[in-house]
Amino acid sequence: MRIQRALMPAVAAALVAVLAAPVLGQVRLDSRLVNYRAVSGISGNLSSVGSDTLNNLMTLWAEGFQRFYPNVRIQVEGKGSSTAPPALIAGTAQLGPMSRPMRGSEIDQFERKYGYKPTEIRVAVDALAVFVNKDNPLRCLSMEQVDAIFSKTRRAGYREDIRTWGQLGLTGEWASRPLSLFGRNSASGTYGFFKEHVLRNGDYKDEVKEQPGSAAVVQGVTADRFAIGYSGIGYATAGVRAVPIAERAGGACMEATAPNAYDGSYPIARFLLVYVNRNPAGRGDPLVREFVRYVFSRQGQEVVIKDGYFPIPAPIAVEDLKKVE
Amino acid sequence: MKGFWRSGDPFVWLTGAALAFALLMVFGLVGLVLVHGLGFFWPRDVARVTLVGGGAVVGEIVEREPIPGPLSPGAPRPFRVKVKQGNRDVVGADFVWIDESRIASVDRPAGLVVVERREWGNAYGTIRDVREGARVVAAGEEAALAALAGRLPAALALAREIRRIERDEVGRINYEQERIRLRLRRLELRGMREGPQVEALRAELAGLQSRYDARVRELDALKARQTGTLTLVIADGRTMAIPLAQIVRVSRPNAVGLAGRAGLYAARVWEFVAGDPREANTEGGVFPAIFGTVMMVMLMSLAVTPFGVLAAFYLREYAHQGPLVSTVRIAVNNLAGVPSIVFGVFGLGFFVYFVGGAIDRAFFPEALPTPTFGTGGILWASLTLALLTVPVVIVATEEGLAAIPRSLREGSLALGATRLETTIRVVLPAVLPSILTGLILAMARAAGEVAPLMLTGVVKLAPALPVDGFPPYVHLERKFMHLGFHIYDVGFQSPNVDAARPMVFATTLLLLGIVLVLNLVAIALRNRLRRKYAASAV
Repeated sequence: MRIQRALMPAVAAALVAVLAAPVLGQVRLDSRLVNYRAVSGISGNLSSVGSDTLNNLMTLWAEGFQRFYPNVRIQVEGKGSSTAPPALIAGTAQLGPMSRPMRGSEIDQFERKYGYKPTEIRVAVDALAVFVNKDNPLRCLSMEQVDAIFSKTRRAGYREDIRTWGQLGLTGEWASRPLSLFGRNSASGTYGFFKEHVLRNGDYKDEVKEQPGSAAVVQGVTADRFAIGYSGIGYATAGVRAVPIAERAGGACMEATAPNAYDGSYPIARFLLVYVNRNPAGRGDPLVREFVRYVFSRQGQEVVIKDGYFPIPAPIAVEDLKKVE
Repeated sequence: MKGFWRSGDPFVWLTGAALAFALLMVFGLVGLVLVHGLGFFWPRDVARVTLVGGGAVVGEIVEREPIPGPLSPGAPRPFRVKVKQGNRDVVGADFVWIDESRIASVDRPAGLVVVERREWGNAYGTIRDVREGARVVAAGEEAALAALAGRLPAALALAREIRRIERDEVGRINYEQERIRLRLRRLELRGMREGPQVEALRAELAGLQSRYDARVRELDALKARQTGTLTLVIADGRTMAIPLAQIVRVSRPNAVGLAGRAGLYAARVWEFVAGDPREANTEGGVFPAIFGTVMMVMLMSLAVTPFGVLAAFYLREYAHQGPLVSTVRIAVNNLAGVPSIVFGVFGLGFFVYFVGGAIDRAFFPEALPTPTFGTGGILWASLTLALLTVPVVIVATEEGLAAIPRSLREGSLALGATRLETTIRVVLPAVLPSILTGLILAMARAAGEVAPLMLTGVVKLAPALPVDGFPPYVHLERKFMHLGFHIYDVGFQSPNVDAARPMVFATTLLLLGIVLVLNLVAIALRNRLRRKYAASAV
């Protein structure tokens, strides 16, 4: 998060310059992203194992990539970010999508096997959203409140445990109703990211209903009027609403939108990542390189918008592309 | 009263009620799936919802619900409707809830069209014109529709041609290139980095490359011909240009009658059954998943039948019936109660990592570290399911064997047949119907099982089928799609839950249908065999 915060202002500055960029589904694409041109001699199998948050994005990229290389076969598996490092280490996957950065222990394991670190590529920006039912009148939550809602340890220091909607200032029939909590299971990178950045490595409450997928969280919140849950912004539907989040109590409430995510004012924005096995000594796998080039092209980032996430600005694309070339 | 209890009637009533309850549950479930699954494809009216104070939303009204909350006394409960407004690339969200108090009027103009697109979901609006490049070919609704009727089939044919070149011709070249690359790598592993053999392969590679470049130029020329666009005016007055190559179907549901809708319905069902998935599985068809499911069940049957039958024959025909055999029998029966995920873990550890890894090291060292068999695949998934279902086949076969009268075997032996001849000629035919019963049960269980597959080879997207036109034609190492997993994936992991939920029901219906068909085939076969051997078995 700290590293990201440092990068985000640069991102924002880069974006201000490109206001004439095309608008797709309300989100702006950096006009300096290049069109993808297919190169010859690319074939083979590509396998991706990892994050559920990135699952659909990987699938959409696979579909798009195959339009350029009809007979590249791409297989996508997404059961949680924690499944990516073992697959990369065992070599069963060339791409390891993750919604949280790799832990030190995971990087160590990788390094022990290959002698170098895995290469991290930032492929999209996500505003981790706290969803409530569409009928919920809640205006804003501070980070401390979110922590007090989901955590039993309350490391962020909110004065009391939040159990009813009344404690968040709602009135009428809402006041006495308890919150019904939805979250992800522990294999999920979203679970890990939320625990680290919102709960400050505290513990989740036992009442959090752990779901096998982000869409299940959204469906839970859709069906239960008194529910609250978290997942990537890409899973938003008409049945739920992302609550604006304030960095601290009394601070400005920020919507989970692309500009707020870029400039870091939305407090739980993050990069979505893909890890690849790139030997710095030798030549990289051309297939992986072309896939990453596609991801950072105009076509690839349009797909990011299609899936509901926010595209990467061109400077970051250029920077990360260098890592695999 | 006492007489009533004595008569036994209460028990009859009890059994009848139990049956009725079970049937009610089954029909309720199947009915729910039928209603939701079949209704999904029916073309609905496209409504124009005019809002109070200006503005309009165009789309299909898919749901209506009461707005919860306290009521002011005397006032009726307010409602709201959910409208599928499409145009996701322009407005951002597929669905929108509108309170009925905000609605001024709802009408259904005949001119509203639904454009089903390959990307970004449906588009709703009215037609403005059809263009070829920048030139307007036909303006106005009727002229544009007439122009579309001529151009759309041609555009679809062109798209199909492009797809064919991509898949077959480019595919073949890529396949050859990959093969040569692997052969080069194998030579390199043997320490041969140059020499006539390597040169020959390199030359072949270069030849393929020039053929590939020619094909790409051909493709580019074809793609340059895809210039047609359809201009749509959407609800808020903006226009939207849709390339004809992106269009699956254009329809005016409000203007067509029942017959027209039935035609649309059939076309959509066909697309669902025979098409490839699009847009991260939320649209398009499920053909790869159907293919994967059926093929996996077939492979599993091939593996489980011989094993199960041989094991049952030994247990019942040859083994000395004692405590040991009883123990084995109990163990086999218990195996049927082991949670399926345990089999999945075993399959992953034993088949995928141990056996598959060994095969890779022995036969495919050139492809490493990319695994060939050392990763989940349809073969390993089938074998894992075969293990899961082998108890069913053993038990069914054993019971069939137990039912064959001893006199039959003794008669055969008395006529001078050896034990093997008796087993093959007399006992096996008589027990075949029981074996098939076991197989039916095994297939039904295997087709519905998902948990072990998730560990041993099922993936969200695997557009390459395990059978194709490239030697060796059957690729057992490939990962595959499965209807059961598709249900899980679309239901829990879809990016657009609202749009995808009906697909869960449709897919469930399809899976039920496939299990039914597989069972009916097996039952028909069993009945034939029963008739054939009815005389000899007595």
